[in-house]
Amino acid sequence: MAGISIRGLSKSFSSRDSDVAAVADVDIEVKDNSFVTLLGPSGCGKTTTLRLIAGYITPDRGTIEIDGRPLSSPGSVVPPERRGMGMVFQNYAIWPHKNVFENVVFGLKIRKLPSASARRKVEEALALVNLSGLETRYPSELSGGQQQRVALARSLVVEPDILLLDEPLSNLDAKLRERMRLELKELQLRTGITFVYVTHDQAEALALSDQIAVMNLGRVQQYGTPFEVYAHPANRMVADFMGLVNLVPGKVRERSGAGGVVEIAPELTVKVDALDAFAPGETVEVAIRPESIRLAASPVPGGTWATISNHVFLGNISEYFATLASGLTLRVQTHPLQQLKVGEACTIEVDATHCSVFRAGAGEAKAA
Amino acid sequence: MSTDVMSTTLRPRLAPRRPRTWLRLEHVVMGGAIISLIVLVVLPLAFLLIGSFKGADGVTLDAYSEVLTGRLYVNALKNSLLLGAYSGLFSLLIGLPLAWAVARTDVPAKPLFQITATLSYLSPPFLTAIALTYLFSPNAGLSNVLMRDVLGMPWLTFNIFTMPGLVLVTVMHTFPFVYLLASSALQSVDASYEEAAQILGASKLRTAFLITAPLVAPAVLSGTLLAFVNAIALFGSQAIIGLPGRIVTLPTRIYALFDYPPEYALASALSLVFILITVAALYLQNAFLKRRSYVTLAGKGSRPQMMQLGVFRWVLLACVTIVFFVSIVLPYATLIAVSFSKSWGLEFWKNITLANYKFVLFEYNVTQRAILNSLVLAFVAATLAVLMGAVIGWIDLRTKLPGRKLLDYASLIPLGLPGIVMAVALIQFWLAMPLALYGTLTILLLAYVGRYIPLGVRAANASLRQVDHSLEESAQILGASWTTTMREITLPLIRPGLFAGWLLVFVPVIQELSASILLFSSQSITLAVAVYNLYETGYIEPVAALAMINMLIIGAAIWLAYRLGGRSLTSRNDAAPVHT
Ligand SMILES: Nc1ncnc2c1ncn2[C@@H]1O[C@H](COP(=O)(O)OP(=O)(O)OP(=O)(O)O)[C@@H](O)[C@H]1O
Ligand SMILES: [Mg+2]
Repeated sequence: MAGISIRGLSKSFSSRDSDVAAVADVDIEVKDNSFVTLLGPSGCGKTTTLRLIAGYITPDRGTIEIDGRPLSSPGSVVPPERRGMGMVFQNYAIWPHKNVFENVVFGLKIRKLPSASARRKVEEALALVNLSGLETRYPSELSGGQQQRVALARSLVVEPDILLLDEPLSNLDAKLRERMRLELKELQLRTGITFVYVTHDQAEALALSDQIAVMNLGRVQQYGTPFEVYAHPANRMVADFMGLVNLVPGKVRERSGAGGVVEIAPELTVKVDALDAFAPGETVEVAIRPESIRLAASPVPGGTWATISNHVFLGNISEYFATLASGLTLRVQTHPLQQLKVGEACTIEVDATHCSVFRAGAGEAKAA
Repeated sequence: MSTDVMSTTLRPRLAPRRPRTWLRLEHVVMGGAIISLIVLVVLPLAFLLIGSFKGADGVTLDAYSEVLTGRLYVNALKNSLLLGAYSGLFSLLIGLPLAWAVARTDVPAKPLFQITATLSYLSPPFLTAIALTYLFSPNAGLSNVLMRDVLGMPWLTFNIFTMPGLVLVTVMHTFPFVYLLASSALQSVDASYEEAAQILGASKLRTAFLITAPLVAPAVLSGTLLAFVNAIALFGSQAIIGLPGRIVTLPTRIYALFDYPPEYALASALSLVFILITVAALYLQNAFLKRRSYVTLAGKGSRPQMMQLGVFRWVLLACVTIVFFVSIVLPYATLIAVSFSKSWGLEFWKNITLANYKFVLFEYNVTQRAILNSLVLAFVAATLAVLMGAVIGWIDLRTKLPGRKLLDYASLIPLGLPGIVMAVALIQFWLAMPLALYGTLTILLLAYVGRYIPLGVRAANASLRQVDHSLEESAQILGASWTTTMREITLPLIRPGLFAGWLLVFVPVIQELSASILLFSSQSITLAVAVYNLYETGYIEPVAALAMINMLIIGAAIWLAYRLGGRSLTSRNDAAPVHT
């Protein structure tokens, strides 16, 4: 199968009055047989990166190599039809004038496969995505989920080394999305195809990926395993994007060894493990995950008093907003069975090992 | 997937299989379309421009000074503008109320409105003109004879060979432009706009004036300007009605300049003045139409409330019935009656005969050739215009070719070229070329394709826009070449739209007279020219028979085309036959 190495990839689009750097200095190494996700907010350059990998657009700078063979550079681009990749488009791009069978067999016809073995392969591919028996249906007679699986079967049947998927689950309802997520992951493990997957849904990225590239403003903010980007975000953009997070200003109070103490409110300080980069007195920003804060109805030693100012019951978790005496409000997520009333006093406790500290005002890597 | 033997054949071809070929089919096709457009439109126009400055000794402005001051030319210009203005005005006065009645009131028999507009649009104006001369020519016209000599009511006679007569014939053909644009605008005005005004206390009438009228005004004005542009370009009716009444217009003046010896410089200069007027009107029209965009933004709202008209609805129905009668029943009933009568007059029904049909079909040796020529030309011209349109539309929407916008604009130029001007330009260009095309079927074909390319481009553009680019890209990533993608994906998907475009070209081409009249020869004569020539020669009754044959062929061709591609057409609503 195949690994992809992307080096210094940049692409700008000139619009009416300015140039938009859609992708800027992107470096990504995708290992063979792995599942890599490009994650980021709308307009951050995910689709552009994917289309650069597919060869639809020519980079301004940088190179894309597959197994050491250069495919894209500013001077020369191997066109998509000679890359042997598969791609599942955000809108599926199922051809409306061809039925399911004709859609899926298309790539095999291009490869001039004898029709008997092509038919067998199409049947296998449709079985793989649980669509057996729908061969003669037209796209207009399929549900959204079924169309998506046709798109998947169409790109899988030619046994690509690399499969590119652009938000393939975004049009599905929550239940179906959950199921397709599992099926995709299983499929990737079974086939060993290298998946490059685009999404703006962090939960999807965390669930599926071997590696996640978090992107913003055309740049890769962090590239790492799901655990790394979730637990140790490289900057506040990544912290903010990987789920709900309390981002609160603070001040470094003291340093000891690699760690130290950060004060986020007069009555609340947290002990942090990694404070290497900061000096005492420096203003910082602390990212505290809502699930890293514990609430207790009765006083706890080392705890800080707060008042419950709001409550949202979400089913599998309970969300509270706890306001400190100094006015700072923190979002807290607890077990749904823990029940506190709005207005009730409580103590909070912060699990400092899961806090990340960033320099105040220092944002994420910005596009040039 | 377990078939490992097969897998080897499926391995991707990462590196290019063959050395980069510098000339690929897509480049040939694209280049071909661009060159064709240049040869069909740009070069003839350039020769027209050059020709207008040619004098006996080098470059001169003589032609222009003659055209802008000479009595003959100023008169023609004045008559054309007058004709256009009246036609626009009356098209508005007829088209708008009819459109409003259908879209917003409870008037009965709405299909009759639609049918009236469509048939009036499809009916060739030169045939209507001929038909009306049978009734209203000042001395022998049947209606005039009846009023004057039999009923003794001379004040009820009507001389068709006058400006009012010309306007009458023209408006029958041009009011559908206003009707079609106004009704589509009225249908796209979301009823919630009107309801919002009503809930604020505005009466229905106030709402119509304050809310609806401003919203549809751009479309209505644009329809009126289209009526104007089309009205002044019609050679046939202006020759048949205008010339006997000494009302010379731009097309007939230009035509006269080709009497031996042809005055190329004057014809060119006059043509350019003609273009200027047309382009100015179309520019305005486009500006109005652009302002319309916010109307279509409104989504599919609730069905508009239909205004209760009471007794007044019968008045409107009477109006449309009169229009239907005057523009369809009267001309065609007359043509039929004349075509079957031995000699046209008050007692024509006493000697019914088939001799006229026998004469034009079997004895007049031009007819059969003309029918064949017209069918072949219309078929080939429509096909070429649509294919070129598809390529040009594709280049504009799907490639990054530098200058593709320019190409798109160039393909719209012919909208501003009246048929006779196209002919003048082609004659000058091809006379200067070493190829002897003048008088051949080919030059007629070039004129038709060049003139109707905008319709092809527009149809292709509209349908290409509806095909998401990713449908083509997904074929590409599966390894399909450009040719395969076109054949398997793009063309099948835009076929219904292209077919609609094909019909839009076919219908006007098979009745084309304005350009053909300068370009035909006895070998390349077309049906419309044959009718016109026979009329000019003074065969009264056979002309009607030939006209009926012409009409039957047009009708049969349209019917056949609808039958062949009807299903795809009825599912599209952008097939409204608006053309210029
Ligand atoms: N063809 C183009 N022309 C001009 N600008 C473009 C083009 N394609 C993308 N852009 C711009 O580049 C930036 C990145 O676009 P891209 O489509 O890659 O975003 P994305 O991350 O896929 O967003 P989304 O999640 O909304 O799909 C955006 O600002 C976009 O407006
Ligand atoms: Mg995208």
